Amino acid sequence: MRSYWLWTRDLRIEFRSPVGTLAVVSFLAVVILILGLALGPDPASLQAAAPGALWLALAFAGSLLGQRVWSLEVENQTLDELFLSPGGLEWIYWGKLAFTSGLVIAVGILALFLLQLAFSFSPYPLIPHLVTLFLGGLGYSIVATFLGAITARVRAGEILLPLLLFPLVVPVILGSVRASSAIATGSADYTTWWGLLVVFDAIYLAGCTLIFPWMQR
Amino acid sequence: MKALSLPDYTTRLLLLAAILALVLGGLLAFLVPTDVLQGPLTRILYLHVPVAWVAYLSFGVAAGYALAHLLTRQAKFDRISAASAELGVIFTSLTLITGMLWGRPAWGAYWVWEPRLTTTAILLAIYLGYFALRQTVPDREVRGVVSGAVAILGLIGVPISYMSVYWWRGLHQTASIDLVNQQVHLAPPMLAALLINLLAFSLIYLAFLRARSRLAELEEKWESS
Repeated sequence: MRSYWLWTRDLRIEFRSPVGTLAVVSFLAVVILILGLALGPDPASLQAAAPGALWLALAFAGSLLGQRVWSLEVENQTLDELFLSPGGLEWIYWGKLAFTSGLVIAVGILALFLLQLAFSFSPYPLIPHLVTLFLGGLGYSIVATFLGAITARVRAGEILLPLLLFPLVVPVILGSVRASSAIATGSADYTTWWGLLVVFDAIYLAGCTLIFPWMQR
Repeated sequence: MKALSLPDYTTRLLLLAAILALVLGGLLAFLVPTDVLQGPLTRILYLHVPVAWVAYLSFGVAAGYALAHLLTRQAKFDRISAASAELGVIFTSLTLITGMLWGRPAWGAYWVWEPRLTTTAILLAIYLGYFALRQTVPDREVRGVVSGAVAILGLIGVPISYMSVYWWRGLHQTASIDLVNQQVHLAPPMLAALLINLLAFSLIYLAFLRARSRLAELEEKWESS
């Protein structure tokens, strides 16, 4: 319940002044544009590279969101008060995770349609692509939100976050790229990669949820 | 000056045993018969496998002590965890270097984008990030807690690196001492040489871990005095 409260509060703050989300969306569009320029203009090679471009752009843009979710608290000087709340602290992590993963998945859906324009990449069949975005976006956000809590309060945290985050999320990015590629090429292999994503999501979620309260105590 | 003695007697004893085992292991590595397929090239196995084992062991120990520090907040656990991670970085680098030296004649290239090499490089990157994080936090306890969280989470890289040869078909051969299928793909003299070298490098690790933890303790005392 408290997680839900935190999630909706963060969404309200973000949508009242969506500077962070707009910056993330703009950054995502720029990354896709640059990748298109670097890999194009041959439509066949662009199509082949599109799943990689999707997850690379999402990983770059998502690292900004991982930082953003905690910097809201730092800017408003409410982080310490939040951690002083009684009882377990897992709910804070879950609330923040809901915020990050919701935005990462939403930005991912937008990226899917941007790639249709820029890379001639078909977002259909839509449901498997959405499931991949959900599993990959969630796995990415689990680690990004966790590490964002660390880097929000340290010197040069915005530089440190991608340095810590990218090596840790490689299994998730790999699984997501392979699943997206399999869906695009019509192969049935994508369910295997979904299985891998579910496993990593579960491991990371369990690990981060267990460590988070001890880390913030 | 007893308080400043470094390293202590147990560490020196471990180091002595490690040197003896290393000399014996080194001799055996050159005395055992050559491999039928790769010839003398496989002798790097007696160096490559032990350093890789110690690299995995280091990160496991680092994560274990990081967890102990997270739960108890005792400074010594953080010192041991950081010391072990430091050794892990050194031994992972050595694993990559020895692997590349083996890969050049065996595969024709120092580096190929192959699952085992890539996942090992990622493992190194995780713990390099760990040390970058430690550099930015001045408070000892906070540093131990936040970097400890990364050490624990980063441990996932170890099973991924180890299992990569089974999960994805690549150029890298599967383990000579196959823990997954519980088989040994080595002739008895080769196995003996490998086991001696594994023991030697494990002893080196233990001695270095003790010495580095002690050094970190002295550094902390020096800073707080």
